[in-house]
Amino acid sequence: MAITRINIGPVHPSTHGVLRLVVDLDGDTIERVEPHVGFLHRGVEKLVETRMYMQSPPYMEKLDYIAPLSYDEAYVSAVEKALGVEVKERAQYARVILLELQRIASHLLAVGTMCNDLGQMFTVFMWAFKDRDMVLKLLEEAAGNRMFYVNMRLGGLLRELPPDFEMQTLDVIDYMERRIPEYERYIEGNPVFMERMKGVGVLSQKDARNLGVTGPVLRASGIEYDVRKNNPYYVYDKLHFSVKSLEKGDNFSRYRIRMMEMRESIRLIRDAFDKMPAAGDMLGMPVKLRSPAPVNKEVRVSRELPRGEALMHMVADQQKPYRLSIRSPSFINLAALPDIAKGYRLADLFSILGSLDLVMGCVDR
Amino acid sequence: MADYDGEEFENARKEMEGLVERSLQGREVKPNVLFAKLSEITKSAPVTKDLIRWSRQNSVWPMQFGLACCAMELMDFGSARVDAERKGYLLFRGTPRQCDVMVVAGWVTKSMIPEIKRLYEQMSSPKYVISYGECATCGGPWFESYNIIKGIDQVLPVDVYVGGCPPRPESLFAALMKLQKKIGGGIED
Repeated sequence: MAITRINIGPVHPSTHGVLRLVVDLDGDTIERVEPHVGFLHRGVEKLVETRMYMQSPPYMEKLDYIAPLSYDEAYVSAVEKALGVEVKERAQYARVILLELQRIASHLLAVGTMCNDLGQMFTVFMWAFKDRDMVLKLLEEAAGNRMFYVNMRLGGLLRELPPDFEMQTLDVIDYMERRIPEYERYIEGNPVFMERMKGVGVLSQKDARNLGVTGPVLRASGIEYDVRKNNPYYVYDKLHFSVKSLEKGDNFSRYRIRMMEMRESIRLIRDAFDKMPAAGDMLGMPVKLRSPAPVNKEVRVSRELPRGEALMHMVADQQKPYRLSIRSPSFINLAALPDIAKGYRLADLFSILGSLDLVMGCVDR
Repeated sequence: MADYDGEEFENARKEMEGLVERSLQGREVKPNVLFAKLSEITKSAPVTKDLIRWSRQNSVWPMQFGLACCAMELMDFGSARVDAERKGYLLFRGTPRQCDVMVVAGWVTKSMIPEIKRLYEQMSSPKYVISYGECATCGGPWFESYNIIKGIDQVLPVDVYVGGCPPRPESLFAALMKLQKKIGGGIED
């Protein structure tokens, strides 16, 4: 049969941003997918070279606008490593709490929009956004803004957590714990969803390893790798949580793994509040124009973001980075799309794309 | 924006009436209101211009089109907390042909300009643009970037600007209310 070549995007309701896909179809079967990226490219890595160290976190947050705090933290810890700044113990716990809250918010959005892509499930999207707003409200109280926080300072945080933050957070995560089974019952009880997710978009363990995918996509393919466990930072090694992995590597596993991770994040937040030392403060250095001289010339910092492992490779100069190279998880996961989607139907392309949970700002940088 | 009293409007009306007449040829049953001629409606309600303005004002349909970060707040605008449908901003449409207002949410790169222009041209005629957020308004933090244009108003005519990085969903609500006022004739161009 003749090959039909169609173009999807760059503006398409289901591509989660401006992604252009050129798809070769044999009938309704995908022969080849070619993602065209770069519609959001704005040269972050170059801009950062012209900014002082602590002027850059706002740029970093705009990389992954679904989980801004995580990138902020990754960049600031790269600067801390370069300048040789120790993070206060109480601040480490506070950072873990904020990061895990951000992970819950991000996964909620991922699940909500994924169900939205599969049609007729606007309910989950509404639920997810309602619950995400509760988490965002907590982060807003801690940092002062709704979406972009710029809360990290060298060695700590911008300010102490508010006095009733612990109580409010525990309330919200108690609510979330009751809510997650509700999501699962609703989503997994839907035959359309199950039909379109189970056994579709399989990424085998070997392929996952070879393509270098990270995060939930990797763990859904049966490889138990999580930077928080394998290469712990902050106080993650003192806290109780487990890394989940599933065997099948299909769309459904990628969705399941996000639900499991939300549960683990809830466990982590509870544990972090229990073990957080009462003494000491969490204030970081105020933002000054001149920062201390760098101790390490070249640093690499690897962090587990909600979307996977991000690597910040920075060559430090006196006042600003000489070069910052970012390995973004979304870009790597997008590279796996042609291999995953081959052989499936055109309609499955969007369920696969939804389950990969890409952020185009992070892909294009 | 477009003047509805002009020749264009008259032509459209004639064309529409011709279509209706042709479709009614040889029919004896009186058509229901859905297939009535525009002139028949205007007979019962003589204030046509106001009527059309009123109906346009209360069914502003935004386009489902997000560029970057601000699109997250756009999605929040479409969700349950900010109940946008109560003021007539219906569900986000996936196709530009059904939309009245384009919300440019996010930074505009040079490679996106032709696409955005094309989308704008595909929208049907009384069309409005809201520039949502700093990046779409003036380039925002990317002012020194080599690939970002400094504001969507270099490409499209903008009706309402919203500041903030990102603006809260409530700000979009306020912007759309302002746009409604403009469509209704409350604010002059």
